[in-house]
Amino acid sequence: MYALVAGATAAVTNRRRLALSARNALFCCFGSTLVAAIVLAVALARHDFSFTYVAQHTNRTLSTPYTLSAFWGGQEGSLLLWLLVLTGYGALAVALNRKLLRDLTVWVVPVLAGIGTFFAFMLVAVASPFDTQTAPLDGAGLTPSLQNPYMVAHPPMLYLGYVGLSVPFAFAAGAMLSGRTDERWIVATRRWTLAAWAFLGFGQLLGAHWAYVEVGWGGYYAWDPVENAALMPWLAATAFLHSVMIQERKGMLKVWNMVLVALAFELSIFGTFLTRSGVVNSIHSFSKSPIGTWFLAFVVISTVFSLTLIMWRLPLLKARTKLESALSREAAFLYNNLLLVALCLTVLWGVLFPIVTQLFKGETRTIGRPYYDFFLRVFGLPLLLLMGIGPLIAWRKASVRALVKMLAWPITVSILCGVALVAVGAGSSRPGLIAYTFSSFVLATIVLELVRGARAVGSVFTLISRNRRRYGGYVVHAAIVLLAIGIAGSSAYGTNVQRRLTPGQSMTVAGYTLTLAQVRRTQVPNATETRAVFDVSGRWNGTLTSGDNQYIFPPEPSREVGIKTSWKRAEDLYVIADDVNVKTHVVFVQVLVKPLVNLIWIAGIVFLLGAGVALWPDAREQRRLVTRLAPARA
Amino acid sequence: MAGVLAVFLLYTAVAGNSTPTLTPSQLGTHAGKLAIVGTVVGPAAGDSHSTHGLRFGLRDIDGKSQVVRVVYHGESPPPLFKVGRSVVVGGSYAHGRLTATSILTKCPSKYTATTSAS
Repeated sequence: MYALVAGATAAVTNRRRLALSARNALFCCFGSTLVAAIVLAVALARHDFSFTYVAQHTNRTLSTPYTLSAFWGGQEGSLLLWLLVLTGYGALAVALNRKLLRDLTVWVVPVLAGIGTFFAFMLVAVASPFDTQTAPLDGAGLTPSLQNPYMVAHPPMLYLGYVGLSVPFAFAAGAMLSGRTDERWIVATRRWTLAAWAFLGFGQLLGAHWAYVEVGWGGYYAWDPVENAALMPWLAATAFLHSVMIQERKGMLKVWNMVLVALAFELSIFGTFLTRSGVVNSIHSFSKSPIGTWFLAFVVISTVFSLTLIMWRLPLLKARTKLESALSREAAFLYNNLLLVALCLTVLWGVLFPIVTQLFKGETRTIGRPYYDFFLRVFGLPLLLLMGIGPLIAWRKASVRALVKMLAWPITVSILCGVALVAVGAGSSRPGLIAYTFSSFVLATIVLELVRGARAVGSVFTLISRNRRRYGGYVVHAAIVLLAIGIAGSSAYGTNVQRRLTPGQSMTVAGYTLTLAQVRRTQVPNATETRAVFDVSGRWNGTLTSGDNQYIFPPEPSREVGIKTSWKRAEDLYVIADDVNVKTHVVFVQVLVKPLVNLIWIAGIVFLLGAGVALWPDAREQRRLVTRLAPARA
Repeated sequence: MAGVLAVFLLYTAVAGNSTPTLTPSQLGTHAGKLAIVGTVVGPAAGDSHSTHGLRFGLRDIDGKSQVVRVVYHGESPPPLFKVGRSVVVGGSYAHGRLTATSILTKCPSKYTATTSAS
């Protein structure tokens, strides 16, 4: 609160000592939040059930990693983690830029402090993790299916992403408040945006993998509002990361970038409102929490604040140059942005649809998977194609002839690939075939760029180290292509067969023959395990088990699927044994063969690698940055 | 952008892919394809793979409504399905009975307050 008031006063009255005091207050916010976080972590580690939060989310049988992960296992702890990351990010971003961008950071401090004040208020007045009670003998424990390593990493990754978007937002607001709307705020926050975006993207893939291996329905993404809540800011941030390149190079899209950075930030807060308020039905939560209303109020206030700033500074946000041709790299970036934002708004509309119909028709209506899948194809496939064209098309103005000449090899490769795919029967799914063909086109352009560049400088490593940002971006593009191939393969070309089996009976699915060998029930220390055992032959020989666990404490069930990954054939054999009846030995079994699904998880690693390359400190870029910012400092 | 938004509206309105999601107390004279949000009330009997299906009831989450009878056919319900659990059940509603084809139970999200998870 002090950093907010003192910082704003110092910025308005241009009082340097007061600004310094506000900045130090922001650092102190991080220090005090860190102390609070340590207190909660120690309480969790010591099973101190006099803390209501500790008793509600852990018990004595929980292993140490899962006990500590309960820090973000509940609402109150999540808010504390949010504030810790926000103040940590904020303090570091301000400290690193305090000399280079002094006039701007003076305003960034109160903006960050404003966001921090909201979260601190929520923690103190609405949802405190430090409420105490008479300590029970043991706690409630953690739902068994959440006791999974992916679930330890997935939530904090998302938080690092969500909260990370506050930094570019604060610098953008600082730039508008200070009137310094040149490219400096973008240059200063590029890595922050990139890191937040990478965490958000990787966090979503971790969640998808958890759903795939643990929830046991055979899928990895259900277009649920809670899942969409993380996807929307990621899409907006992806658009922002692309469009800032145009502003940096050409001084264009200044207003658009301000809108995008505000949109990404608002969507990250709006996502929390969605998941907490209970206004939409989600498979993840039906609970109505009081914090939802507060988050909605915060979204409204911060949106009004952002829009007012943008309107106020419109005269300063005029583009230095104009788009010269609809066939140019600038235009390709613009199309990319429009498609990404359209996809983001499509998802937003799908999420809001039940609320809108309730408001205007008095009846909640929901839209399901067909809606999302349709628009993913409509906007996603052209985006994929643009990923190949964009990096090769000329700046300012390109000719069709020059473009075709430039893309001759990738076009040839993709046509050959398309023909080969039709020949092997991939034409059964038109969207799948298009996705594969476009993917081969993009991969060919990436390879072409790497080969051309490497020839010029000697090696691929030299090439990448000389322009980490550009080639890191290409690696990320390769990851998106892998993701597209994985999604297309597993959804368009998968097989799904269901049958009732008794011991000795078999079923054959996509070349795998599964014979039910036995049904067994085993008692282990904290659960009753019921399993159907299948002998598999054909394309793979071995044994797979699937069934369910009924835990004693907490008394929850979990589905246990059998998955056999074949790297050689690039597919998963996925077995769900339902209704395993130990008396009659009848099992209802669902067998899925999911081609290329593992490319999705590999894409996550490649994505992280690409983001890492783009984030890695670059001495050349640093020198360019100092030269560029020097006149503004002077 | 306005044009894009208009396309969304048109698509969702014309294609008619949206499904009413109602609580048991809101059902009134509704009929046809819809989803019901409510709490499972027992007894839950039968088998979703058999001809008679899995039979159970649904009541408003606050417990203040008539019970709607549900007959569910299809894949086994999710493991977390049980009496007392909040669910969304989709299917076709007629003559006071829902012939269901899908059941969604609450995912054990870490973000949910413990009181609602129990």
